[in-house]
Amino acid sequence: MIVVGGLKFGAIYSLAALGIVVIHKATRIVNFAHGAFVLAGAYATYGIVEGMGLGYWPAYLLVPVVTGLLAAAVELVILRPIRQSDMFALITSTIFIGIGLSEVYRLVQNTEMLGVPNPFPGRPIFIGDIIITKEQIWVFAGAILSSLIGLAIFGYARLGRGLRAMAANVRGAVLCGYSTDSMNALAWFLGGALAGLAGVFAAPSKGISPELSISMVTAGFVAAAIGGFDSLRGALFGGLILGLAETFAAAYVSSAMTNAISFLLLFMVLLWRPEGLFPEAKIRDV
Amino acid sequence: MILQTSGLRVASGPMIRVDGLDLSLAERGCLALLGPNGAGKTASVEAIAGLIPKAAGRVMFDGSDITSLDASKVVRRGLALVPQLRELFPNFSVEETLLAGSHAARGRPAIPFDMVYELFPRLAERRSQLAGSLSGGEQQMLAIGRALVTNPKAMLLDEPSAGLAIGIVRAFVDAVKRIRESGVAILLVEQNLEIAATLADDCIVLAAGRVVWRGSARDATSSEEIRQAYFA
Amino acid sequence: MFNKRWRALAGSLAPSAAVLAVAVLGLALDTYWQYVLAISISAAATGGALAMLVSYARCITIATGAMLAIGAYGAAIPVVLAGVPFGAALVFATALGALAGFILAIPGVRFRSHNLAMVTLVFQSVVIIVLRESKALTGGAEGIHVPPPVIFGISFADDAYFLLLCGLLCALAVLPIAILLAGPFGKNLRALASNENTARAFGINVRHHLIAAFTFSSALIAFAGAVSAPRFRIIDPDSYGVLTSIFTLAYPIIGGMGSIWGGILGGGVLRVLPELLRPLADYIELIFCVLVVGTLTFFPEGLASAFWTRRRRNRTATASPASAREWQAARIGGSVSEAETVTAAEDQASGRPMLELHDISKAFGALRAVNGVSLTVAPRSLHGLMGPNGAGKTTLFNIVSGFIPPDSGRVLISGISLDKVPIERRIGLGMSRTFQHAAVFRRLSCLDNVMIGLGRNSVLQGAIRSLAAALDTEEIRAERYAALLALEAVGLGARAQDPAGTLSLGDQRRLEIARAIVSRPRIILLDEPVSGVSAEEAQRLRELLIMINRELGITMVVIEHNIGFLVSLCQRISVMTEGHILAEGDAAAMVSDPRVRLAYFGEREAAE
Repeated sequence: MIVVGGLKFGAIYSLAALGIVVIHKATRIVNFAHGAFVLAGAYATYGIVEGMGLGYWPAYLLVPVVTGLLAAAVELVILRPIRQSDMFALITSTIFIGIGLSEVYRLVQNTEMLGVPNPFPGRPIFIGDIIITKEQIWVFAGAILSSLIGLAIFGYARLGRGLRAMAANVRGAVLCGYSTDSMNALAWFLGGALAGLAGVFAAPSKGISPELSISMVTAGFVAAAIGGFDSLRGALFGGLILGLAETFAAAYVSSAMTNAISFLLLFMVLLWRPEGLFPEAKIRDV
Repeated sequence: MILQTSGLRVASGPMIRVDGLDLSLAERGCLALLGPNGAGKTASVEAIAGLIPKAAGRVMFDGSDITSLDASKVVRRGLALVPQLRELFPNFSVEETLLAGSHAARGRPAIPFDMVYELFPRLAERRSQLAGSLSGGEQQMLAIGRALVTNPKAMLLDEPSAGLAIGIVRAFVDAVKRIRESGVAILLVEQNLEIAATLADDCIVLAAGRVVWRGSARDATSSEEIRQAYFA
Repeated sequence: MFNKRWRALAGSLAPSAAVLAVAVLGLALDTYWQYVLAISISAAATGGALAMLVSYARCITIATGAMLAIGAYGAAIPVVLAGVPFGAALVFATALGALAGFILAIPGVRFRSHNLAMVTLVFQSVVIIVLRESKALTGGAEGIHVPPPVIFGISFADDAYFLLLCGLLCALAVLPIAILLAGPFGKNLRALASNENTARAFGINVRHHLIAAFTFSSALIAFAGAVSAPRFRIIDPDSYGVLTSIFTLAYPIIGGMGSIWGGILGGGVLRVLPELLRPLADYIELIFCVLVVGTLTFFPEGLASAFWTRRRRNRTATASPASAREWQAARIGGSVSEAETVTAAEDQASGRPMLELHDISKAFGALRAVNGVSLTVAPRSLHGLMGPNGAGKTTLFNIVSGFIPPDSGRVLISGISLDKVPIERRIGLGMSRTFQHAAVFRRLSCLDNVMIGLGRNSVLQGAIRSLAAALDTEEIRAERYAALLALEAVGLGARAQDPAGTLSLGDQRRLEIARAIVSRPRIILLDEPVSGVSAEEAQRLRELLIMINRELGITMVVIEHNIGFLVSLCQRISVMTEGHILAEGDAAAMVSDPRVRLAYFGEREAAE
């Protein structure tokens, strides 16, 4: 049962981590504002489900588009002018953009915490001793499926080829006619869409508040780091590992450990295997 | 003239790499750009291709001014660059690399990959092999193949024979001849005078960013001036 | 003279004086403002500490909140639980902060950019979690009540007294940081932030410096936390959370990354902005974010520096090189240490080669970049290294200067093996170098660039020299004089105070030479010293190098593509091709050697 709970949250983390890795692979920027995109997704979910009363299905389809556009807008308007600066300026900017966006949501919404209903209420399923709610199954399956779709787009679709080319060698990609501007915007759109989707899945169980922003960017970062930061598959597994670790820690140690465990995991990964558990084979281009 | 530059100036920070380069490449022609290291040959072709910024000057290609275009747009107009470091994608297969290159030919007639495989049979044998695991010579072939599928009217080749074994160099010289025969104009950057003379109609020698010699390939081989220019 | 000495001291004392002045002025205001100013002053101290980490070392730290908490709790708990006097508790809290910074930095500085930021975030979060969970000690989430400070029986509960105490303590605490930042330690931090490899080549141990920066700044931040805690009356973990860390990051960024003043002003003003702009209180955080992103986008150096840079940008004059006679005179007056010139003479007398390479090999995967290279360079000689592209010259240089370890083979300088000697220590053995892309520290003045060249750049030396700079001692003046002489020798005496980034390329190359010679090295490795300069400038640089070689007896090994230059400068030349030495001998002979011509031009046989 703990496993199921862990997998559910893990799947959400995987989605978030995937978005971070997509952006990092294609544009070399670590997006500390990612949590704010997840939060935007959660708020948008509230808007569609509660505000407009449209129910969940439109949310799953519309929210990624909205957050994707938001992310692309951030890249275009704010980050593009400083793209030439050093990492310090870029990372610090994403940190403050993230906080700034969270502040904007807070001011617009005027309340600290919002809630959305469970998309799959009803009796839980019993498998032997284990109680699984429909919501858990849905979130796990849905988030994993979305991650796989994201992976597929990046890895196999024509759309993804340009991004992968950019990730492998910017100059080479440009010589194939891929424009850095378009590819960057696309990468951020994709990353933002994944983040927004994570927000839709997370909204019912994690609640919608500015806290979500920080907790999701941290979880996403840790999951991505476990995976090796440059590996999409790694991000997927990293998220699941993190989710499981958290719920196990909460059950067997204490609830305070839920937060601490992610940091401990990150610390261990950075110290012992900074290239992550799934390092992308770096073949030398002679 | 398919390609013309006038007053091309390239700087990286305070360093002036190319100082006022004028060159003309005829349609279906072949021009060699020679000179010692640091002379500015690579900087010149990379600037022409739009890969690095130009400090001054103009570049005309196929009747239009491409000076302010960046490389992704330049290649889509039909001017392809095979850079000195090849800049391949280590985890792309041969086939996928060509697919990536064909992106630049969108909206224009496509070049069938078979043309590349025919030119370089070794690549055909390795269609699904990853670029990073190819030998130096095969990587160079792939880099040229990738440029070919962009359906270029002219190609900029930056030291294609550098670091290759003698036997393979000959294969390359033949390949470049065939590419030229198919109607593509070539601007060849070379350090090796003999290779340049075999392939090119005309030669320009750069030293310290400036043109120090200009003439036909035939004159180049017999010119002592050129050797002086290298060692001046 | 007397004036100069006072000016140096005043420069270091100024930030502290300003802090104290604010406190004194506040005595004339009402208790509300005294409360606000006390908080502002401690935030200013925090900002000053962050200037070291963020402005100078360009590290992203999200652990400031945790450090403030460590200071606050570190002082409060001993007082509340054990009745420890405030003064002792303050010292304890500061020491705790230093320790915390040290512990954070040891694993942390293995990384840069985003991983470093995350490590600091880990530290931040863990500290807050620990504070929240240790109910018995810290009162948990509810926090603890902090009594007003009591020193020698006097209670500082009164707002005015507290403000004065706060001002005094913070002024004192800021002083060491101000001294460090204004002096060579701060310069070293700037150097490593702008170009790590070059910094290492001149003896700056990046890891040690970053650990030191974290330790010192964490100590000051903890101090600020401890001093301000009584003013808040109650402290709880949540007031020192991630958001606090992020917003304190804004202090040096908005205030200005050019000096400690930016951090101090940023901290002092931004911390109390919500108080000053009550109606906008709700929007303050958003305004901060906009200001930070705006500053980073449009004024990468911060608002204060943007003003200064504009004034300096317009000077481009090139100085003319000093004549041999001037240099002769300069040398007589200016050797920093007699020992260094003695060594050069010793070396020649011993008959040992200055540089020996024995069978050096280095492969990158399948590529044999360097393949069994052996080479000897005689003392006081000018030795050239040339070869077509990809011959392995730069790799060889990087092996000799320590940037790349060889797979096999040995490098000896004057008979001393350089095996396992890290880059930072090679300058101590008399090896100096210049870089292909004129790697000067652009934001530092020419004089500062050259002073770094002296190589006295361990953390301890940097700290001591910073103190010496503040007191304007004989030692530091001698160093400055030596640096100035080196600048004059290369013709840049007039540009000593200009930022290196404003120099033309030719002048930057001269600056590199000045920086390379000031430590009176045994040997200098010059990597393409005339690449990108005009023919006239190349000629002048050639004369300069010949003069330096003749007057100071410094051995030089030069890589150059400009073969004419190389032949006119060097006595012997080694020609490399495809990883090995093709030919070696007298310069002129090399150029007409048929094997060399083959390598460059490829005669008919090669193409078939």
